[in-house]
Amino acid sequence: MTVANLSVVRESPAEAAIEVTGVNHVYHGREGEVAALEDISLNVNAGRFVVVVGPSGCGKTSLLMMMAGLRHQTSGTIHIQGRPILDPDPKRVGVVFQEASLFPWLTALDNIEFPLALRHAPREERRQRAEAMLTLVGLEGFGARYPHELSGGMKQRVSIARGLVQDPPVLLMDEPFAALDEQTRMTMGHELLRIWSQTAKTVVFVTHSLTEAVYLADEVLVMSARPGRIIDRIPVPLPRPRTYEMMATDTFGRLRDRIWQQIRKGA
Amino acid sequence: MTRLQLILTRLLLLALVLGAWEVLPRNGIINPILLPPLGDVLRVLAELLTRPQVHEAILVTASEVVVAFVIAVPLGTAIGVAAAESDYFGAIFKPMLFYVFSVPKSIFLPMFILTFGIGFPQKVAYAAFSTLFIVIMSATAAVESVRADHVLVARSYGATRGQILTRVYVPSMMPVLLEALRISMIFNFTGVMIAEMYASRTGIGHLISNWGENFQMPQLFAGVILLATVAIAFNEAVRWLETRFSTWRT
Repeated sequence: MTVANLSVVRESPAEAAIEVTGVNHVYHGREGEVAALEDISLNVNAGRFVVVVGPSGCGKTSLLMMMAGLRHQTSGTIHIQGRPILDPDPKRVGVVFQEASLFPWLTALDNIEFPLALRHAPREERRQRAEAMLTLVGLEGFGARYPHELSGGMKQRVSIARGLVQDPPVLLMDEPFAALDEQTRMTMGHELLRIWSQTAKTVVFVTHSLTEAVYLADEVLVMSARPGRIIDRIPVPLPRPRTYEMMATDTFGRLRDRIWQQIRKGA
Repeated sequence: MTRLQLILTRLLLLALVLGAWEVLPRNGIINPILLPPLGDVLRVLAELLTRPQVHEAILVTASEVVVAFVIAVPLGTAIGVAAAESDYFGAIFKPMLFYVFSVPKSIFLPMFILTFGIGFPQKVAYAAFSTLFIVIMSATAAVESVRADHVLVARSYGATRGQILTRVYVPSMMPVLLEALRISMIFNFTGVMIAEMYASRTGIGHLISNWGENFQMPQLFAGVILLATVAIAFNEAVRWLETRFSTWRT
């Protein structure tokens, strides 16, 4: 068990939006203590799109939840925008979950407004922001629909809009497209890149799909099986904007293959 | 089948049943002493509704029902939510609550009479007691219908405990709670009726029980129609609310 060395002088690059330093996580399972995360350190510069991949149960979702302030690491520190994150802070971090997790009793627009309603923003401002987000995610005119009247892809669009409505600099996404069919998934990936390029957010995106990882990322972080460690950092040199044609290129194939090899080694 | 056809068919069926109730006893096909014709029953009902004694009975029964309901529903909801939310409280009390729930409450009626006499408090106490458990069970189910991911979303957007309660728990639980309200009223009404019919000096249940014992069939059926109307009206009112609150539950 590594204990966080608090005396370490942390060099803080001005443009780092997310700094994870020496994070360990241990939880108490049925067979005693289980090490879930081991010595995770990573920096994500502002405006970058980082994808985290790894075998099931490697703790990538846990890591994301810690960055969101929804769970606490056993040791180590996580800084978002230069300040430690101890509790959820919607001004700094927006979260998009695997299930769209929309509230079924609220319309699409009211779902997007939810974070603003929590801090009692004026009604007019709420409406305006939510309408703008709805347009951004390409759902203009669907604001009055209830979640059960929307398709899976549309629900995730609403969920992304909800994550962006407070304009946080960081967006954390936990396998947001995992429940969608392949075609919708590709479309949503493309849409996400469009939204990202328009909003300049720092994104950390967890996925199981290697194709999705290469297609979306500036950099892919590969995690090992439990205890989760970062075993490789793979920069994706493909130019932007990304196109579907790139998937057929050798570079794309080689990158995907390298990630796959790393996952197999680490599993 | 269109909606209009459906309604017409239902009305036709109702007319058939009511018509049979009127015609069969009148022609002597059914013994009119056991089943008085509908017309006679309605005449008796209209006459009963003018009697001060009946007014008093209605008032007594209604206040018993309301007071028992007002005691049982909030109390049961509080206990049910506590049992679902607190692991400690739940682990201790849940099994016991389930055991008691399975026992017919009417066997406790003699104890209520010995404790409270046969007046107003006994009716209220017994009805509240017999309603409490269904409310507890429903409230527990309502809490368990709140999805963990909804709570997580609210937390991630900085919701306070109070906001999670009002903006996630309450709307999630509303459809189940309204259904519970409706079902608990059925239990509650039944409780009051049983208590009144078993031992009482007033109330509609007492009158119905008396009419039965004295073989006053038109009065007995008039009482049944009166009670059925009130019960159905309440049930339908809450059901209407339910559909309004749960359009999203599809």
